[in-house]
Formats: sequence, structure tokens, C-alpha cells
Amino acid sequence: MDLNPIWLTLKLAGITTVILLATGLPVAWWLSKGRSIFKVIIEAIITMPLVLPPSVLGFYLLLAFSPQHGVGKWLQQTFDVQFVFSFQGLVLASVIYSMPFMMGPIKAALQQLPVSLSQASYSLGKTKWQTFIHVLLPNIKPSLLTAIVLTFAHTLGEFGVVLMIGGNIPNVTRVASIAVYDSVEQMDYSTANTYSLILFAITFIMVVSVFVFNKYRLKSPLE
Amino acid sequence: MKRIKTLIVSFSLLISPAFAQNIKVAVAANLQSVIKALRQDFKQKTGITIESILGASGNLTTQVKNGAPFDVFLSADMTFPENLFKDGFSKKKPVVYAQGSLVICSSQDIGFENWERVMLTGRIRKIAIANPAIAPYGKAAGEVLKKKGVWDDIQNKIVMGESISQVNTYITTGVADVGFTTQALVKDPNNKTKLYWELLDPKSYAPIEQGMVLLKHGESNADALKFYEYILSTRAKTIFKEYGYHVE
Repeated sequence: MDLNPIWLTLKLAGITTVILLATGLPVAWWLSKGRSIFKVIIEAIITMPLVLPPSVLGFYLLLAFSPQHGVGKWLQQTFDVQFVFSFQGLVLASVIYSMPFMMGPIKAALQQLPVSLSQASYSLGKTKWQTFIHVLLPNIKPSLLTAIVLTFAHTLGEFGVVLMIGGNIPNVTRVASIAVYDSVEQMDYSTANTYSLILFAITFIMVVSVFVFNKYRLKSPLE
Repeated sequence: MKRIKTLIVSFSLLISPAFAQNIKVAVAANLQSVIKALRQDFKQKTGITIESILGASGNLTTQVKNGAPFDVFLSADMTFPENLFKDGFSKKKPVVYAQGSLVICSSQDIGFENWERVMLTGRIRKIAIANPAIAPYGKAAGEVLKKKGVWDDIQNKIVMGESISQVNTYITTGVADVGFTTQALVKDPNNKTKLYWELLDPKSYAPIEQGMVLLKHGESNADALKFYEYILSTRAKTIFKEYGYHVE
């Protein structure tokens, strides 16, 4: 039994979650404050992967990554990197694809915090950044956990985009969801079943733990 | 609510006879261009509309086994049709309707005279083949590469398409520098990309015998039977030839 697709999936989900946490926090914070047409547009773009079919994203990434023209050509000639059929390509795709799952809960939670909270912090002489780290973040812990877990779990479930730009390369782009599809095509149902059960178990445990953790605050993780 | 239900029922009654007339044909991905020509010609000849469902042969076989309502199955090989016949999804023994030809193909002129050497150079980064475990054209590509003695050296350049049509996408969009595919791609009048290609020696791979079965769902359907016979007719054979297939 080849467990590499499972490890690869966990690695992809882990890296994606870390990148999205690092970039998502400041962006969500920025989005939660004030309103402008520019912010609305940015927020809409971030939310798009939630409603767009993965094939749309896969198609555009395939075109963008093609080393024959445009961005893909420039990347290959200047930095000698190729995004299509590579692990870094999958990471980039996953970051785009799972972005709404990180941004959504964090932004919503930040917006619900009373303004007096940060005002009190400012009047005590704390900077914006200090206020964010020491005052705001500790107050949105449940939503933060929800965002992290959902981002991770959603990346585990990524399939359509990977199918289009992955190329099914063992240990590079053959993630668990692709391995399941592959085994079903080969009519190797027992292998498909093993991968599926592992994925089912991991995601089930993750979602259940979020529900349990958030239960006392009477919040559904989908809020 | 009741009214809506009545509406839905009457509407579906209205359209269901229209669907019943259509024959559903499961079609291997390598036939994606030739099936359009066949469908059109068959419609012209008989007035019967064919609905074709494209996919990897392995996938389509699984779908048939799980109750997909297909009448005829045009596979990319003989294994899947024989498998269906053996498991009782068809009463008629599968027949070979065409033999596929493998080409090496690229959106750039990479120098096909000695492609096996070009592949080893840094100029070629990604080589697209269909998944050999499920796609006959992928299997044939693997045989050619092994025969040329480069299979082991290019392992890190190989990307696998889940079907031959995905390989075609990889070639025409240029994400793969070169790929192994069906000759039907380069004969396809609908293809807008300029392609460079070379026919591979048919002796360097086991013949890609493509088989057809009349499925249980279609055996009592006169139109399905007509289509089955049409595929084996001289008229269909001429079209297959135009698209680069061998027929006897």
C-alpha cells in the first residue's frame, strides 16, 4: 500500500494553511475595517473560488502557467521555475482555492468585535499592530481555529484543479483525491477504499473537533 | 406544491419521448474528433440522433457496470469491452472496429528526426502521455519509449493525462513540450493550434485494437443496432481512415 499520496496531501494542506494564515490575517483585518468600493471588489475576488467551478480556475491556471507564453514563459526564463505539473503550482492553486475559507471566518469575527475594544487599547498607548496581536486576536480564537481547520480540510478535498494542472506525477502531484480517482479508473476498488477511508477519517475528526471546541460558544463553524 | 408537482410530471412526460429516441453511445476519449463526423454522417443517412458521452475507457466501463444507460460502447482497446462481455453486460462478443495510430506531437518544432535524443536534452521539460494503467495510447507510448531505450531516463519529465484528450490539452496549450497521442488529433479539422508531429512506427508498439460492444441497454433498440452496424460499414471506415485510424 503506497501511502505517499496521503503524505503529499497532508503536506500540501499544511503548507497552504500556513501561507494563508500568514497572508490572510492582515488582509482580513484590513477588510474588516471600514468600507470602500475597492474593498468590496477585493473581497468579492477572494470569495470567488467558493462559487466558481474548480475547472474554471484550473483552465486559467493552465493557460497562465504555460511555458509557451505570458506569465509562465516569463517565470521560466527569468527564474527557471515551472508552475504547471509541479508541487509549487499545486500550492499556489490551493492558496487561491482555499482563500475564502481562511478569510471569511476571520473577517466576520473581527467585524463583530466591539470598536471600544481597540479604542481602549489605543488610549492605553498600544500601537495598531500590538492591539491586533494582543487584543483582537485572542478574542477571535474560535473563529481562528475554524478558519485554520476549514482551510486545511478544504485543501485535503481539492480535486478538480489538481486534476487539470497536476499531471498525476507520483510524489509530486498525485495527491490522495487523485489517487482515489486513479484507482477507481483502474477498477482497483480496495485501494480506492483505503485512501477514501483515510481521508474520511481525517476530515471527520477535524470537523468534529471544531464543533466540540466551539460548542460552548454556541457557534457553528460555518458562520 | 401539488400544482408544481403536476407541472413537473407533465413536463417530463412531454420531453421524455424525445430523449427515448436518442441513442447514448459511450465513446473513448481518443475518438473525440472522429465521433463528430460519424454522428453527423449517421444522422444524414438515417435521421437518428446520437448522443455521445466521452471519457476514459476505464471510466466508462465502470459507469456501465454501475448502471449507466449506454446503448453502445466504443472503447479504446479490447480489454474493457471483453471485460463487460464476460461480466454479462453484453450478449454480443466485442468486435474490433478500428486500429489506432500513435504520433509524437508538439506545438513547437522540436526536431522530430531524432526525437528520442531531443527528449534527453534540457529543451524538453515535460512529456505528456496518457496514464498507461488505464489508457491504451499511454500504454503504447510507454512501449515505444522503452523500445527506444529512453523510458528510464525521462521518468522525471513524464506527466500523465487521465485520458488521451487531456494529453491533447497539454499539447495544444503548450504546457507540455511534447506528447504522445492519437493521430486523430492532428487530423482534426477543428483543431486551431499549429502542430508539429510524426507518425511512430506501428511495429514499435502492440496494435491499439479498438473494440465495440452492443450493451444490454441497447440490444432491443433497433436504432442502437443500426448504429452498431453502421460503425462496421464501409462508409464509417472511410471516415475512420480520414482521421488516421487503420481499418480492415
